[in-house]
Formats: sequence, structure tokens, C-alpha cells
Amino acid sequence: MIAVTRRRPELGLLFWVAALGITGSVAVAAAEVAGFRPQQLVVPATFVVIAFALHVFLAARGVRGDQLLLPIAAALTALGLVLVQRLASNLLVQQLSWTLIAAGAFAATILIPKDLTALSRFKWTWALLGVLLLISPLLPVIGREVNGARIWLGVGTVTFEPWEAVKILLVIFFAAYLEEFREVLAQTQRRFGPIPVPPVPYLVPIVAMWAIAMVVMVFERDLGATLLFLGIFLAMLYLATGEVFYTLIGLLLLLVGGFVAYHVFGHVAARVDIWLHPFADDVRFDTGYQLVQGLFALANGGLFGAGLGNGMPDRIPVVWSDFVFDAFAEEVGFAGAIALLSLYLLFVYRGMLIALRAPTPFLQLLAAGLSFIVALQTLVIVGGNSRLIPLTGITLPFVAYGGSSLVTNWMLVALLIRVSDMTARVRGTP
Amino acid sequence: MTRSIAANIRGLTLAIAMTFLVTSVGVGYWTLVAGDELGSDPFNPRLVAAIRDRPRGFIKDSAGNTLAESVQTPDGYKRVYRDKTLAHVTGYASFQFGASGIEAAYAESLVGQDPGDPLSQWRARYLRERAPPGSIVLGIDPKVQKAAVDALGGRRGAIVAIDPRNGAILASVSWPQYDASLISDPATEDATWKQVNADPDKPLINRVTQGLYPPGSTFKIVTGAAALESGVDPNAKVRVDDPWQADKSWGSYFVRSSSRAHGDYTMADGYRLSENIYFAKIGLQIGGPKLAEYAQRFGIGSSTRCDITGAKGQLSRTGVLDRPTLVADTSYGQGELLVSPLQMALVAAAVGMGGVMPTPHYATEVRDAEGHAIRVIAPGPIGQVIRPETARTLTTMLVGAVEGPGAFAFAAKIAGVHVAGKTGSAENPSGAPHGWFVGFAPAESPTVAVAILLENSPRGGEDAAPLGGRVMQAALGK
Repeated sequence: MIAVTRRRPELGLLFWVAALGITGSVAVAAAEVAGFRPQQLVVPATFVVIAFALHVFLAARGVRGDQLLLPIAAALTALGLVLVQRLASNLLVQQLSWTLIAAGAFAATILIPKDLTALSRFKWTWALLGVLLLISPLLPVIGREVNGARIWLGVGTVTFEPWEAVKILLVIFFAAYLEEFREVLAQTQRRFGPIPVPPVPYLVPIVAMWAIAMVVMVFERDLGATLLFLGIFLAMLYLATGEVFYTLIGLLLLLVGGFVAYHVFGHVAARVDIWLHPFADDVRFDTGYQLVQGLFALANGGLFGAGLGNGMPDRIPVVWSDFVFDAFAEEVGFAGAIALLSLYLLFVYRGMLIALRAPTPFLQLLAAGLSFIVALQTLVIVGGNSRLIPLTGITLPFVAYGGSSLVTNWMLVALLIRVSDMTARVRGTP
Repeated sequence: MTRSIAANIRGLTLAIAMTFLVTSVGVGYWTLVAGDELGSDPFNPRLVAAIRDRPRGFIKDSAGNTLAESVQTPDGYKRVYRDKTLAHVTGYASFQFGASGIEAAYAESLVGQDPGDPLSQWRARYLRERAPPGSIVLGIDPKVQKAAVDALGGRRGAIVAIDPRNGAILASVSWPQYDASLISDPATEDATWKQVNADPDKPLINRVTQGLYPPGSTFKIVTGAAALESGVDPNAKVRVDDPWQADKSWGSYFVRSSSRAHGDYTMADGYRLSENIYFAKIGLQIGGPKLAEYAQRFGIGSSTRCDITGAKGQLSRTGVLDRPTLVADTSYGQGELLVSPLQMALVAAAVGMGGVMPTPHYATEVRDAEGHAIRVIAPGPIGQVIRPETARTLTTMLVGAVEGPGAFAFAAKIAGVHVAGKTGSAENPSGAPHGWFVGFAPAESPTVAVAILLENSPRGGEDAAPLGGRVMQAALGK
């Protein structure tokens, strides 16, 4: 028998989300030449129904714990729909369908598996599944190459980026593996100067996992995924052992790897050159065109932006998936951009809070790892969009156009809420 | 004991928060600080769209006549220019080809964000509110401008008149012309652009500021100044025998006198009869480094700091005068020298003003939409380039070059006023010599200085001198 919970704060916040989604959509429509038409409300209205349905679902299932994650994720998704309407209205219905699928995936993740800690028992299964998914785009028939990166699976017109699912599988695997061996990895008897040398056998699976991923990334030519993979790996290692030196060595490896990749792989060198000299005459009209147009958009932002629908972000190629952040910042300004970043930071903070309170090391590592994914993705793409680091093909979580990303991110939210729910049950809090 | 996972989570969260902070600062840089630079990047599509979306300010002459304004059409605003003879000054503002002239130099002021009005800049940058555009007032005096246009009479060349006291440009004509309205009209911009760029006479170039020509004998003003300040006695007689070479090492190379002269010359004679051999000899006497120093003082090879950017000119291809023949040729304005008409007008102005060279400027005032002055454009002089007594001595000799017996520049005379001036006929690779005249009037306290350039004019400086007289006469109101 499941007791229904009252999730009052969550409900209250969802009204704000509804207001955000509807006013955003109306504002964008009103700024268009054709003006606002009532039937355009169908999309935001559908989304509002989905968001409230998820709330009712959680309450009916008697889920306890965190009540902020769902409104934050819903707010980001609502902004994403507004931006797709603004930047690529022909993709809007498709994005709404993906939102529906994402909601389904969220609900499914809340329902199964029954016992979250059971996930850790099948860690090698997750590892194998992850590797298979990673190499799947290289397979004939189902593998697809888009924009020079072979990272897609396709059946008919539906494409899926398996990497998106892999990142969650990775966190589950690392959490389970590190829970088991963290003591051994951390309590090293031997030190090479200040550098801890862990017992080699225990590192083998981790390094092997990393190596497989690297090799796959090189062949799939996806810089962003490589960066994300390495980031998750290092963060989880640090979370489990507290050894800063693992992280430092990892970063060193990243720099060395980057240096080698720069000189060996054309696509890496191109990305770095664009980053260093986007305004050079032979770059700005060619490979650097996208970034330069993105920076023009950012620079037009000012404090409060041009207003939704009044900027010119549509001059940026593929703006709806690669440069939503710049488009958003142009139309809502520095203030809006900071508000968006604050939403992400709040999301990560809530996720880390859930991790702190989680009852077992596995759940702690799981929640922290999942939160870290959102943080890293946000920082890497926003950094790329604002020329702080080279641009990579990572998407802005929840907001950028793209189905695979949306579905897996909502599953991630569901996992975090479940960890929170378990904590509440163990501790007997609401 | 292993550090607790909780402690590691706190550490990681702190690191993430710090990185968010750094990222926010980066985003702040691009949205708030970089806007100025990127917003005025000529390839930013927003800048171009603004030409259609908003009216730009007026450009007016000193009498208040409108030279450029935005006109509303069904497709948005377009720029219309009322005086074709000033196309090079106003420039154009095209959706496709960007802006030039005043339209480019005062682009911010013309959209209501003058740098002299920090509040409007702040409001535009952070609040995206633009003040209604005001206007740019030019120093162009319609009477002088008309006299200059009539004087040039459709010949290829340039005329510039400047007020030597403050550097305001009173007239500026560059021929051939182009129609700035056609380049700024979306319906005609493509075809017009193609046509003017294909024209071998290069109508898009503002010959006043961007045209580069050998200065010919007008450069003798610089050589004379260098000589006087190096202790050369202007009254000492110098032997002139045409043709002349310093020694046998010059081989078959000789400096020629335009009047095939034989005789003893003072500096005043040298100016009056424009004697090349006289100046070649004193140029060699003071030496290349001295001559180079004075060319540099008079601004040859550096920016004029004019609000419409122009050419810097060159003393020689290498920037130094390291061969005797090059020193000799440079002394009378040939060699590898290249200057713009505006630069030569400034040389004349500096001599007239007792050695103080003014900073040239086309615009004199930026006004807001109500007509109140936001900013008066009155740049201080570039500096004292020669001593006052040197300038006085030169002025006397340059009056002689116009009014003396047999003076080459006699045609620049104006009744009732003393005129100082110098003609020049510049040999060049493109055919007949370029005709030059530079001068100022009244000689004792000038209110106008001019430079006239006629491309490939058969009689060179003789053709140019009367034009100088007419333009100065208009400026003096005589």
C-alpha cells in the first residue's frame, strides 16, 4: 500500500514554470511577423499538462524527498521549447514529442527498478552495455555519421545518440565499482613522492574502461563526448578516494592527450584554431563562421537583451542545437543568461545535497556523479559558446534541441529523485 | 582513514560553483564589454540590419543644409544624399557593403550613441534603449565647396580647403564622383557597387585623404624649412647650371631645371622660379637625415589624425634617404615621395600659422535630436612643427612665389590680399605631370589654406594655380 504524499512546494513552483512556458511562447509568437495566433498555445499548454501530470504521478506514487528538481528540470525544458519555437519552429512538434517520451522515461525510471541499490549488483552488465552502445555507431546499417562525427544510431528517420545513455550507465558502473574498491584505491601503502600509487590490479578495469572509450571516441570523432567521459571518470575517482592527485594526473593526461590529438587529428586542430583565432580573415567566413556569429549574438545581449524574438540569433548556423545559449543570451541579456546559469547551479546544488544525505556510498556516488554530468555539460557548452574553451558538440541539458539528450536527462532527474526518496524513507523524513 | 565521500562531494561542489562563477564572468565579458567592438564590426549582420530598421541621423553642412538623411520606404529606411559633390565626405551606408566616410567615422553618433554622451552609450549598451539620432554638422562651407567644384570643372583631381586656425575642412572635392544614394539603396546597390569598382578612374577613392601623389615642387616648402633651420643662409647665392650632377658617380643621371636655367639663385629666387637644382643642392648640403626629419615633422609618413581616415604617404620606399640621388630628387618633391592633397594643405596651413600644424577634421559638432550640441569637435593642433621665424621667412618667400616678378604661381593672386603659395608639376608614371598648387591667404594671418591637385594636367602647376586663387577668394568672401 502506497501512501499518497503531498508535494506542495513542487506544485507551487510548477505554476511559475507554467507561466514561464506560456509567456515565453506568446512573447516569441508576438515578435514574429505573423503575430500571435491562439493555436500556438497548444504546445506550451501540452507541456504544462505533462509537467503537472508528472507532479501528480510522483504524489500518487508517494514519492518523498526533493521537490525542487522536477520544477527546475521542467523550467529548463519549457525554456527549451520556447527557444525551439524561436529558432527552429519546424522542429517544435518533434521536440514536444520527445518531451512526451522523456516524461514517459522519467515515469518508468521512477517505477523500475524496485530497489535502487540493486543497480550496483549488475555493474559489469552496465559496463558491457555501455561499451556496446559506445561502439554501436561504428556498426554498419544502424550507425550514422552527422557533421563528421559518427555518434548516431538511426532507424528510419528516428536517430538516437547512444552516448547520451552511456554517460548514465558509466556513472552507475563507476559508483558501484568504486563503492566496492574505494578503500583499497585510497589507502595506498606506497607513494611515489607525493603521488599515491594504487594497487595495480584494482585500477585495471577503470583504465580499461577509459581506454576503450578513448579509442572509440577517436574513431567516432566526438571531442565533446571524450571530454565528458574523462570528466566523469576523474570526478568519480575523486569523489570515491578524495585523492586530488588522481585528478591532477588525469588533467595532465588530458593536456598531453589534447596536445597529441591537436597534432594528429585534423578535426581537433581545427577546433582549437577556431577557438584561438575566430576573427582571423580566413577563419571568420569559413570554419569559424558559426562561433563568430555566436559571439556577435552574445555581444548584442547587453544587460537585459533584445527581447525574445527581437535579436538576430538565426544568423548562427545550427543555432537550435549548438548555440542555444548565445541565442538565449542575445534576447534576454546578461541578466537572463545568469538566471539560466543559476538554474543549472541550483539543480547541481540540489543534486549534490541529495548525494550528501544518501544512506550508502553507492547512492552517494551515484547522485553526485549524475549531478556532475549536468554541471559538466552545462559548463563545457556554455564555455564553448562564449569562447572560454574550444567548442564541442555537447548539448545544453534540457534546453538544446535534441531527443536523446532530453530523454536521458529526464531519466537522470528521476534517478536523483529516487535517491532522495530512499534517503527520506531511511531517515523517516517527508 | 579514507576521507569521507561527503567531504569529497563538498569539495567537488565548491569546484563546480567556482567554475560557474568564472563562466559567468566570461559571459559577462561578451554580453556587456565586448558589445562595443563586436557591435561595430563591419561584418556583424546586426549593424547592417540597423541601417534598415532605424533612421540614422542627419549630416549637415556649416550653413545647416542637409547633406544626408534617412528616408522611409516600404522596406525600411534608406539613406539619401543631397549633394553628390560631397559623396566622398558623407560616404555611404549600405545594407550590403557597410559604411564609409562620415557615415563610418561617426557611426555611433548617427544612431544616437555618441561617445561624448556616456549616458546614451550606457543606455544603449545595457538597456538597449537608443536616443533618437541627432545630427553631425560638418565644417563644409557651401560657398567654398561650390567654388571648388566649379574650379575643378569635372577634371580628375582633388581640391581641399581648410581653416588653418582650427583645422576645419571648408571644402573637399574628389573627382570623379559616385552616387552614394545608389550604393545605399537596396534596389541599386549591387549594380552600382560593381560598376564603380570596375571603373579604372576609381571613383570610390576620396582623393583628398586617400589619393597618393608625388608632391613635386610643392615639397620645396619642406626642404626650405629644413634648410633654414639647419643654418642655411637664404640670401646666399647658389650656382645653378642646367643640367646638374654632384659628381661623376651619378653617371648619366642629372637634375634638370624646368627653365633650363644658368645663374646665381637665392632661396627666394628658388621659390619664385621653382628652381629644382637650387633645392637639390641645398638638400644635399643639409643631408638626407635632416630632410627626412622635416618631412616627418610635416606629417609625411604618418596619420593626419583626420576624422575620416586617410593615407599616410611615404618619404621613400624604405623610409630613409640613403642615396645622394634620392636626397636630391626628394628635395624638389620627386624621388619616391608620395603624399595626399590633405597632407600638402596641412603643410601650407602650418607655414601660415607660424609653424603650428592644425588637426584636420570634417565634422565640427554632434547634435542631439533637439539640435543641442552634444559634443563640439575641436581637436587641438598637431603641434609646432617649425619655428615661428622660419615660418615667417618662408611666408615672405611664398608670397614672392605668387606675386614676385615672373613668379610661376602668379595666377593664384587675389586683388587686395597677399597670397602665399607654391605650384608643383609632379612627374609620374601615368602620363602628363600632376598639377599642384598649395597656398594660404591672407598671407599675414591666414583664414584659409588650400591644396589643389589636377591629375595628368598638361601644364602641371600652371593649370592648378588659378584654381587655388578662386577657391581662396570664395573662402575670403571677396
